[in-house]
Amino acid sequence: MTTSLVALHQVTKTYGSGHTAVTALHPTDFALQAGEFATVIGPSGSGKTTLLTIVGSLQQPSSGQVLINGQDTTDFSERRRTDLRFNTFGFMLQASNLIPFLTVKDQLALVDRFNHHKQHEMSMTDLFTMLGITDLANAYPAALSGGERQRVSIARALYNDPPIILADEPTASLDTSRAMKVVDLLGDIAHKMNRGVVMITHDTRLLDPVDTVYEMRDGHLTTLDSAGLAKIRAAAL
Amino acid sequence: MFLASKEILHNKARYLLVVVTFVLISYLVFFLTGLATGLARNNRTAIDALPGNYVLMSKYANKNLLSSVVTEDQYDQVASKDTALLGQMTIVAENPKTNKKLNSNIFGINLQGKLKPTVTSGRLPTKNSEVLADDSVTYYGLKRGDRITLNGSNQKYHIVGLTHDRRFATVPVFYTTLATFRQVKYGQSRVHNVSAVVSTRKMTDLPKHTEQITRATLINNIPGYTAQTSTFMLMIGAMIGITLLIIGIFMYILTIQKVAMYGVMRAQGIRTSAIIAALFWQILILAVVGVGIGIGLLALTEVGLPKTIPFYSDTMLLSMIAGALIVMSLVGGLFSLRRILHIDPLEAIGGE
Repeated sequence: MTTSLVALHQVTKTYGSGHTAVTALHPTDFALQAGEFATVIGPSGSGKTTLLTIVGSLQQPSSGQVLINGQDTTDFSERRRTDLRFNTFGFMLQASNLIPFLTVKDQLALVDRFNHHKQHEMSMTDLFTMLGITDLANAYPAALSGGERQRVSIARALYNDPPIILADEPTASLDTSRAMKVVDLLGDIAHKMNRGVVMITHDTRLLDPVDTVYEMRDGHLTTLDSAGLAKIRAAAL
Repeated sequence: MFLASKEILHNKARYLLVVVTFVLISYLVFFLTGLATGLARNNRTAIDALPGNYVLMSKYANKNLLSSVVTEDQYDQVASKDTALLGQMTIVAENPKTNKKLNSNIFGINLQGKLKPTVTSGRLPTKNSEVLADDSVTYYGLKRGDRITLNGSNQKYHIVGLTHDRRFATVPVFYTTLATFRQVKYGQSRVHNVSAVVSTRKMTDLPKHTEQITRATLINNIPGYTAQTSTFMLMIGAMIGITLLIIGIFMYILTIQKVAMYGVMRAQGIRTSAIIAALFWQILILAVVGVGIGIGLLALTEVGLPKTIPFYSDTMLLSMIAGALIVMSLVGGLFSLRRILHIDPLEAIGGE
């Protein structure tokens, strides 16, 4: 058995302390393999973003163990976690995660300035072609549509060849057909490029290319089988 | 540098405001400095030109050349090849043909001695009725060849030559013979008093009732000199301090507006040091451009300014002040540093 890209063992997250303590995440196990497209669904406030931020080394768990590529990151300093995020994760965030004063091309060029111009698996041109944004290379984020922005975000997230892509509600501002394209793209990234992808969503219509579906409710994470998924879909309709 | 310049170029209007602030502050500071230097120089250039660093004056004069009288007995006691006599008097020069009156000084000297001024046009006086004038008298309507009276004298004095940068106590100096100085001051040339003895070497065995001071002390005791320069220094210092506040606050406001974006960058694994570097590069670029334009405006102003306004741009002093402005604005960037250090990558996520 190969090492999981991500493995969470009995991870919890509690905000505040004493009387006012709020448990966002109850003891949780979670694993992600290379080539796996996992999605976490659940209502807002259920703790799914907390899970994503712990997986992505954006914050430390209150207890439990986080292994990234088999390495325990629980005691990493802020600086080491920063470098880990840069090298290991590609983030697609709900809010605009593009820098407003950089053109599409420069968003990626910025990555080059911090990785000492290492050789990329996919060149900028290839990425732009794959995502159909070649014509937008010199545009600023403000001039892009929601769908275009998400595709640029994907390009930005993939550019540094991270083994893991984390997407927080990537389809939130898109209509169904555009949302489906984005989800298909994330599926291709997992299956064809052999990356691990975690997507957080509350949109249950878009789960066709997904390998594993988790449901988060009140800080409890459960795996959904096809029957459970069907039930949730029926409820959503 | 990359982030800093890209952002400035994209948000031109916003950063133009910062540059304009820099331009206005630096121009104001440079202009004040030019006026302060010009005024200070108008007080002292004739003293700066003295060939010796030591000056003997009467003790009662409180180091003020205007009040000092050194008698023949006194100056004979220190006389050597290193010393020269100087008679100073504040007078009004008038061209009776044009009724043009001008506040000025006479410096009575041995015109062939150590204090001989450099002639820039015309020639040195050879007679008691001839004088050499600082060329700034031409700004006030006198010129070489004029015959003037000194303090309403019957005798007319012929301006036979001009010299440059010889002003004292803010007004021009006329160089005359010692005899002419004594005639104007005492009404007769048989009184052999002078105002001071200038020496290139430190004088020893000083006569009674005299004291020896340096040129710098003499300048600082020109009535009004220290008050003027310290007032200007205070204003300039305050402006440089204000630069720190204005630029610091300006950059702080721009920084808080970008906290969300910095959160995204931190989430993407960009180090805080890169964000801080961008901030300081930005300040440096804006400061250098703004101060540079300020210097350009100053140069233009200098061309257009009437010569009667005491203005002098001392390159060394202006470079130091330009440097101080840039350093102060970088120090102002420290206000934003704390905010940037506390940026949490979680801010990028928002929501839950």
